[in-house]
Amino acid sequence: MSGFIITRELIKRIYTKYDAYINPLLKFIFALIILSVVNSKIGYMDRLDNIAIVLIAALLCSFMPTQVIALMTGVFMILHMYALALECALVFGVLFFLMFILYVRLVPKETMVVLITPVLYLLKIPYVMPVAVGLFGGPMSFVSLAFGVVLACFIEYVHNNATTLTSMEDGNIVGRITFVVDGLLGNRAMLAMIIVFSIVLLLVYVLRRRAIDYSWTLAVIAGSIAELVLFLICDIALNLNYSLGGIIFGSILAAGVGLFLQLFSFHLDYKRVENVQFEDDDYYYYVRAVPKVKMSATDRKVKKVQPSQSRQASRSTHSSQADRAVRHSETRSTASTARSIKTEQNAGATPAKDSQRTVHTANGASRTINR
Amino acid sequence: MIDENKVILMTKLAAYEQGEGKKYTSIAGYFRTDYVSSYLLGSIIAGTLAFAAVVGVYIFYSFETIMENVYETDFMALGKKVGTYYLVFMGIYLLLTYILALYRYSKAKSSLKTYYNNLKKLEKNF
Repeated sequence: MSGFIITRELIKRIYTKYDAYINPLLKFIFALIILSVVNSKIGYMDRLDNIAIVLIAALLCSFMPTQVIALMTGVFMILHMYALALECALVFGVLFFLMFILYVRLVPKETMVVLITPVLYLLKIPYVMPVAVGLFGGPMSFVSLAFGVVLACFIEYVHNNATTLTSMEDGNIVGRITFVVDGLLGNRAMLAMIIVFSIVLLLVYVLRRRAIDYSWTLAVIAGSIAELVLFLICDIALNLNYSLGGIIFGSILAAGVGLFLQLFSFHLDYKRVENVQFEDDDYYYYVRAVPKVKMSATDRKVKKVQPSQSRQASRSTHSSQADRAVRHSETRSTASTARSIKTEQNAGATPAKDSQRTVHTANGASRTINR
Repeated sequence: MIDENKVILMTKLAAYEQGEGKKYTSIAGYFRTDYVSSYLLGSIIAGTLAFAAVVGVYIFYSFETIMENVYETDFMALGKKVGTYYLVFMGIYLLLTYILALYRYSKAKSSLKTYYNNLKKLEKNF
């Protein structure tokens, strides 16, 4: 655990220092993944299903706001569907237009949720999303999840029925539109997933906001169990033919990811809770302060020792002949620089109590050494 | 001699001015009614376009049924029905937009109030 916390602090420090470079890089990687997934699932247009085009598009997205990734993904999807059937592109375009104009325009922060949900759905692990969004988002984020699920189900439906769509007559525009819209509206599994995701998200959100010990852990575990149970109930009640192994694995994965995310953003030390009471003119305050768990990566201390002192100290401590020889060589080497620098490195973790102090020491020391 | 507290406060204020303060200042530059109205205007256009798109898809979807019953259809009644749906949809959408715009405006105002208090504190204490 301490190793993880040290790594976390290191990552945070690196991110804070180089965020101007890391953010575009992350956007690039994300755009690359999402566009590759789209190409692999519905890559009907050969020209777009090309790694060079994907790389260029991802590079373009890396310097743009997140909404541009959504827009680019939408354009890719519409073009692929156009290559399959014009009607598919039309219905999907309307769906995407509605999502963008009615929702993303007002809440641009939720774009990532709308994008990640279909990607995880297509990778067969969408169960992570309600738990993660419940931890970091608000109660209204269920709309983003719902949009994400609708997009994913539409893509899956088109992917599964591509042969039927292409086998229909070319002039049968109405028939194709009816086929696609019926497939979307009559998808009970999609509706069940939206309802379950919304309930789980709200449950996780409500629990993690409670002023109780281990609220985030409780929220993650309760959310994952609720997800498992609700999907099983939906499966039995609506006969949806879900894979039991998939649901169980997905729920366990959701719990694992939730706990991992918790360690990164809300890791508290409940053993050192402080309850404080004070008052002002208008109120009496009952404050409960829970400290965060922090650890420093390394604790380097630089001691500057004068040559004369070092000789004196070494005379009193070293007695053996061999030690004297070593001391002699050390003294000779330091004499040229007129001082010796002794660096002590205490590897491992330092308890959180002293974290602030040690962090400062560590930073100061590393700067000294670099110079 | 550097006053640490002063540096901390000034850094906070500068970070605010360059970050979310910029956004909030532009919001607070409007009167509340103007800000909310601009939001609502955008939503009226967006909502109308969205409704039109849905109606368009619906027409394609039920094209055969519509064509079969085209001579028996009471277009006045149909128009009233569609109009009612439009008004209900727009009413809900505009209400949500109004709440969102009001929330954002009050958030910007309160955030700027804290910022101005900090500015006063800086002026007073240092």
